[in-house]
Amino acid sequence: MIVGGYRIELEPRLKSPRWLVYVVPVVSLLFAFVVAGIFLLGTGHNPFTTYGKLIDKGYTSYYGITDTLGLATPLICTGLAAAFAFRMNLFNIGEEGQMYLGMIGAAWAGIVLADNLPGVAAVPVVMLSGAAFGALWVLVPAVLRARLGPSETVSSLLLNYVALNLVNFLIFGSRTLWRDPSPFPDGQLVADSARLDRFGTTNVYPTLLIAAILAVFLWLFMRFSNYGYETSVFADSPNTARYAGMSASRLTVSVLLSSGALAGLAGSMYVVGPAGKVDPGLLQVGLGYAGIVVAALARYNFVAVILTAVLFAGLRVGGAALQISSDPVPIAIATVIQGAVLLFALGGEMFRKNRLRVRRIAGSPVRGAA
Amino acid sequence: MNSNIWLITFADAISIATPLILASLGAMLTERSGVINLGVEGYLLMGAVTAFQLGMGFGNVWLSVFAPILVGVVMALVHGALVISLRANQIVSGLAMVIFGTGLSQFLGKSVEGERRPVSIEPIDFGRLSDIPFIGPVIFGHDPLTYFTWALTIVASLYLNRTRPGLVLRATGDAPATVDAQGVSVTAVRYIHTVVGGALMAFAGSWFMLARGTAWSQESTTNGIGWIALALVVFAAWRPLRAILGAVLFGFTLQVPFTLQAQQINVVAPEMVKMLPYLATLFVLVALSTPRARRLLGAPKMLGIPFVRDER
Repeated sequence: MIVGGYRIELEPRLKSPRWLVYVVPVVSLLFAFVVAGIFLLGTGHNPFTTYGKLIDKGYTSYYGITDTLGLATPLICTGLAAAFAFRMNLFNIGEEGQMYLGMIGAAWAGIVLADNLPGVAAVPVVMLSGAAFGALWVLVPAVLRARLGPSETVSSLLLNYVALNLVNFLIFGSRTLWRDPSPFPDGQLVADSARLDRFGTTNVYPTLLIAAILAVFLWLFMRFSNYGYETSVFADSPNTARYAGMSASRLTVSVLLSSGALAGLAGSMYVVGPAGKVDPGLLQVGLGYAGIVVAALARYNFVAVILTAVLFAGLRVGGAALQISSDPVPIAIATVIQGAVLLFALGGEMFRKNRLRVRRIAGSPVRGAA
Repeated sequence: MNSNIWLITFADAISIATPLILASLGAMLTERSGVINLGVEGYLLMGAVTAFQLGMGFGNVWLSVFAPILVGVVMALVHGALVISLRANQIVSGLAMVIFGTGLSQFLGKSVEGERRPVSIEPIDFGRLSDIPFIGPVIFGHDPLTYFTWALTIVASLYLNRTRPGLVLRATGDAPATVDAQGVSVTAVRYIHTVVGGALMAFAGSWFMLARGTAWSQESTTNGIGWIALALVVFAAWRPLRAILGAVLFGFTLQVPFTLQAQQINVVAPEMVKMLPYLATLFVLVALSTPRARRLLGAPKMLGIPFVRDER
């Protein structure tokens, strides 16, 4: 771009300073709060008291903390799901639907299989069943991507709407084994052996630890395994990967299926933990979409996902409290902040990788000199 | 079964094709310049809520029709700044706009949730013409925006294929370096078409409130039509006139659930019928993925790839 004799350009940094890695997400978050604050102000809410309440209800009060950690559990999984695919430039944005399928798959195993299994095996089988359902749900977009090229975004997202209607069908539109036989439409509870107990009086389940361990495991695995190396080569340069004899379609399909499995695991953690059944309430929360924001703010780093997931879970819990407070603010403000964070993080990331360079164009008159 | 019902469904399909055509025209122009804009769903929702809230405040239908265009322009400028100037990832930026637009439209629409629409665009009365069998309800009896959209599609097709700026646009999507060597600014071409595209998407959103929805509802206003519009771009092979055909086809699948519900036909559970438009769209994408179909499609070659002039 040329402005008055000066050329302004983005120039790749040879080495980006380490501190920018931390500053960019924090500044993105602050800017997002400012943008949402403008809309709060415009609709007659005081942004400062609103944010004060949000932080109190989401992060500092006792119930806030346990609710936040409880909600963060599936969110870590959807965040890992998005990070796993996005770092390979595979844009699986159907985590929402894959999570619903995970819920359906986990409930199926919990209702049908759990009673016939030894006690210790029930929970793992239920969780793996959810993961398998989630992976299957992304199979068609994965094969499409491998054959058609970039198309997994639209196809994986379209399936979210199919999955949403499928959950509604199982609970409201049919009398399958997922539905409780009572006249009131509700999910059938899974066997007791397929559920975990919460920690004391909190809303935190042992699944939080599983999710955190999984994040650390994925970080180690993708850093040190052959598979992790192949995917990173493929992400940087598909051609190099092909010359080195790596199979593009095998990598594409396996990464997308793993991503779907992680999203499905989020749904099964919801079944094993707080819900115990197929619960249409999950359709209202949008953990799948939030997972994408969580992953982006963590810069697709698996361990950082734990942190950003807790952050966004708090935003959601705080937002829910705002909605029912004396000065009700629509919970959608949490989604506005999420979207704005993603936009700012995206722009900020480019400033991390590049620098603005302003140069005078040779031969143009220097301002002030005659 | 009464054939009249299906005729009405078909006529309604042509009606709901209007926002599909507008939104996919917008996406098409953007993509022809080499920029992907996945944000359609967010633009539609923001256009719809803007039209509704302005209608509540001012009661002027023309303000509600045209003001959303400005919203689309602003959103597209943000997208352009991120992906054209800063060369950020186009997919993530578009997705961010969906999340932002969904959240903001729900936030701004919360106060009028369930309210009846304050202004509307009525179908044009063609008098006797509407009584012609079949042709009457299918061709006549739509709202003015529908006819405007048809005209716009023809104009877009002529622009793309018969004018010099259209040629430059197509070249920018396929070979930006060549366009640059000709002394035309790739950045300017991409900005202009991204902004015009965004304007069309938000304009499509206003149609939802003014011609279709009877009340603002955050859950069910667009229902993923933005994503169907994106699939439609592929189906239409980036050609405007083909979008009309595809939009009517997809519009029919969108309309069938309403017809079945209205006629109390309960052979299949309504939840299953509601999957139809998304499954049909997915099926079309699968069908287009065969090698033979791919050759015929002809997507812009540099779609989604930022242009950096190699000057040193």
